Amino acid sequence: MKRNLRLNGALAAAGLCLMTAGAIAQQSGPIKIAATLPLSGGAANFGQAARNGADMALAEVNGAGGVLSRQVMMDVQDNRCNPTEAVKVVTQMLSDGGYSALFDGLCSSVVLASMPVVDRAQIPYMVATASATAISEKSGVGGSKWTFKFNPTDASMAAAMVSWLTEKGLADKIAFLGEDTDFGRSGGDGFKAALKARGKALLSEDYYQQGTADFSATLTKYRTSRPGVVGIYALASDQQNIVNQMQAFGVKVPLSGRVQTDSIAKELLESGFLDGTSAVQPYSPEIDTPKNQAFVAAFKAKYGSAPNSISYSAYESMRTLLDAIQRAGSTEPEKIRTALTQAKFPTLLGGEVSFDEYNLAHTFAVIFQIEGGKAKVVGLSKT
Amino acid sequence: MTASAGWTIHSIQPILRSLLALALAALALAPLLSANVYVQTLGVSACLFATMAMAFNLVYGYTGLLCFAQVAFLGIGGYTAAILVTRLGWSFWVAAPVGGLLAAIAGLVVAFSSLRLSRHSFGIATLAAALLCTIVARDWVSLTRGSMGIPGLPAPEIHLGSLDIVINNPYRFYGLSLIFAVGAIAFLHRIIHSRIGRIFVSIRENEPLAISQGIDPLRYKLLSVGLSAFVTGLCGALMVFNLTIVDPSILDFYYTETMLIMVVIGGPGHFWSVLVSSLVFSILPELLRFSTDLRLVLYGLLLIAAMLVFPKGIAGLLEKRGTDFWHKRLAAGRGQVS
Amino acid sequence: MDAEFALQLLVNGLTIGLIYALVASGLSLVFGILNIVNFAHGEFYMLGAMLAYFVAGTLGMSYWVTVVVVVLAAGAIGALLYDILLQRFEGSNVERGVLATLGLSMVLQNGAIFLFSTTPRLTRTEYSFKIWEFAGVTLPLTRLFAAVLSVIAFALTWWALQATQTGRAIRGVSQNREAALMVGIDPKRVSRIAVAAGIAFAGLAGAALAPVYSVHPTMGFAFVFKAFAIVIIGGLGNFQGAALAALLVGMVESFVGALASLVIADAITFATMLLVLLMRPEGLFGRGVRL
Repeated sequence: MKRNLRLNGALAAAGLCLMTAGAIAQQSGPIKIAATLPLSGGAANFGQAARNGADMALAEVNGAGGVLSRQVMMDVQDNRCNPTEAVKVVTQMLSDGGYSALFDGLCSSVVLASMPVVDRAQIPYMVATASATAISEKSGVGGSKWTFKFNPTDASMAAAMVSWLTEKGLADKIAFLGEDTDFGRSGGDGFKAALKARGKALLSEDYYQQGTADFSATLTKYRTSRPGVVGIYALASDQQNIVNQMQAFGVKVPLSGRVQTDSIAKELLESGFLDGTSAVQPYSPEIDTPKNQAFVAAFKAKYGSAPNSISYSAYESMRTLLDAIQRAGSTEPEKIRTALTQAKFPTLLGGEVSFDEYNLAHTFAVIFQIEGGKAKVVGLSKT
Repeated sequence: MTASAGWTIHSIQPILRSLLALALAALALAPLLSANVYVQTLGVSACLFATMAMAFNLVYGYTGLLCFAQVAFLGIGGYTAAILVTRLGWSFWVAAPVGGLLAAIAGLVVAFSSLRLSRHSFGIATLAAALLCTIVARDWVSLTRGSMGIPGLPAPEIHLGSLDIVINNPYRFYGLSLIFAVGAIAFLHRIIHSRIGRIFVSIRENEPLAISQGIDPLRYKLLSVGLSAFVTGLCGALMVFNLTIVDPSILDFYYTETMLIMVVIGGPGHFWSVLVSSLVFSILPELLRFSTDLRLVLYGLLLIAAMLVFPKGIAGLLEKRGTDFWHKRLAAGRGQVS
Repeated sequence: MDAEFALQLLVNGLTIGLIYALVASGLSLVFGILNIVNFAHGEFYMLGAMLAYFVAGTLGMSYWVTVVVVVLAAGAIGALLYDILLQRFEGSNVERGVLATLGLSMVLQNGAIFLFSTTPRLTRTEYSFKIWEFAGVTLPLTRLFAAVLSVIAFALTWWALQATQTGRAIRGVSQNREAALMVGIDPKRVSRIAVAAGIAFAGLAGAALAPVYSVHPTMGFAFVFKAFAIVIIGGLGNFQGAALAALLVGMVESFVGALASLVIADAITFATMLLVLLMRPEGLFGRGVRL
């Protein structure tokens, strides 16, 4: 038994040597970045938005000569927004070897499950769009030194949102409705913490399974409890379902939280049903900096619609990652990681992307409000 | 006539068996000799699926109970082990058998309450049990963390004197899975070819006859379900620690469908053919790089075809061919003599 | 809880219960006639919804045309299903029927995933975003129509079972196959019609719910398990029992869902199913009110 295991060890070591040889052979040719995104299921449109943003960053950089004079390519695999599926896919890709970094995952639960795999494989991990607070709490000095998070945390976005709601006198009767994932739970915790700091509490707190068909029970409850605002943390498809059913059951309450204003049915938005709704996102295409407007124009030319916050975060974080590889002067994981900790990448919205000791970039929180059937930017703050 | 036909079949069977054993041994060793991580990962999944399929074969193939709760046993084993290790700091080596034990207990409870009625209600009760397990996994958030799952499960460690091994790569995990699979399948083989195994079959074939011989069928059915659940629960524990995460997708009907196809196509109630079919079905679709949905479409078609044309699986088909062949020859021979 | 709130919950429960009743009684009808538990039943509900999505959404047909097209298509598919597959399993052991229909379910569900991906889609009709208000109760028109369609389907079926030759033959076959044969009923024809009706019910449920919920390939799978639970609670093969149990489950979901949580409502449904199975295997409503 003992001898057998020793033998196994020796064989494993031999295997490792072979793998390193393979890694060295990959010094030329394109730089490969592994990525998982939800490409099917309820989060598929978000996954596509992230892919578009990242693809655009790659196209720009490759058009300008690539990184370290090599082209960069991204392999995207579907994670179906499911943590186990993501772990399978990431393990598979990283053990195939040849990748210089891992990119995103989109869903917070997916990212949190991928982090231990990344730590084992020792490869830089750029989290572009997932927002759960726990991701950065567990990164940098908090644990995973390989994970870097671009988006602001849910805690900081919820804080910005609640501070705005308080200012408008709307923070007293907030009902929270979020999906039962790290994203939704993290949003709920963010709202609770921000309210507690002001001596307030949530009116009610409900979580549902992604892809729930019928919200009539919860919405009927709202008809009696009469919340002033409903904070929602949902995928676009679920949000669509919730909003349609709110209208159907005559629950006319402004929304707040991570509302995707661009995925509300046009008839509903223009009818004024959602007037008074507020939202917090890391980005708006309306922000008027020359660089951002150039980005929006280029994005529209390529994909036919304005970028949403997911496309933006994917674009900007991919640029940051590629910049780090360039500065590292090699695709060696440790060198890229060090370059990332020293990042000072100028953003489209002004200021620079740099990571704190928790490997968290303090990017922006943008507050929107729907008035007269239109979403407008009403606040912009650094998180 | 059956005696002489049986004699000829049995005379070639040892050769076939040793060839098969050799091929299996070669297949089992391949991932150990390969430096390719992909092959090793595939090896882990083949080991676990083969064991799950054999455990399902025990209860469905040999005892004749169509049990839809196998996936629940898998989930109970996986979740129990994960929770005991992450919350209570137990060692994997203790937590995994406890997971198997809990799965067995759950299996006994469902089987005991439904089998008193009929085989029919057993199928439905096991299905309901699997659905209830999904609800617990998804919605008892304080226990299972719901759809967030329990990620970052630590690698099992072995400390034997001066030897410290952390089973944290596919190569080592394959070693562990192989030892487990060989042990578990050998154990099932022992059971099946013992007196107990013969009683299982006699209950499946003719329950009233078994009762008339003084056998209490309920006791043996429970034994079959309990053993199957225990082995499947262990598979669950290994599976989640290999992946480093457990979430409600371990209770996905996909696993039930895969186990079903392995057993049904192989031939329920046959040992070697189910083992071979479980390996074929865990390796071939991967090598052909089928997407999951296409794979399941194909499995579905196979299942329908099997039910229409060869309900006893490939083994049943081969057996029939064999007996038909010998029947013809014997008939011809007899004709000449007379 | 005020009266208005209770009334709203009652109406919600009734509408969803009626839709459950459509699917569950179709399942029950097929079981009653063929003694086959149709695992693929939920997929026909899904196919109905998918077809409605394409007819209403892509082709831009009106709501009522869509419903008619889907019901006719589902009925035709049901007849084909009987001729091609189910009749071969008539009278064989239960497991074979279960496994064959499970195989069919795998083919249909995963084929749909392969062709359309699992991304949910919303069906727009001319009644989307329209509401009916009555005594403080608000009901979206699409839900109201779903309930009305379900009631019409039941009324028609009830009438057909009582008053038509074929209806009486269906009842005869499901009560006693041999006796029905002796009085000269053609069992194949009767079975074909019953299966067609059962699948048409599932298709109708799909078409009625397509504009209410989002449409995706795995929607049938979750639904069919609930239908199983309902059929067990109501009594296997008991057409009216299934309908009553469906209304009960709809109510439980509505009230428990609003007052506690949806999860508990689901757990109650499946736990009740287990309890009924163990304590009263003939179903809550027994065999007395069979067809």
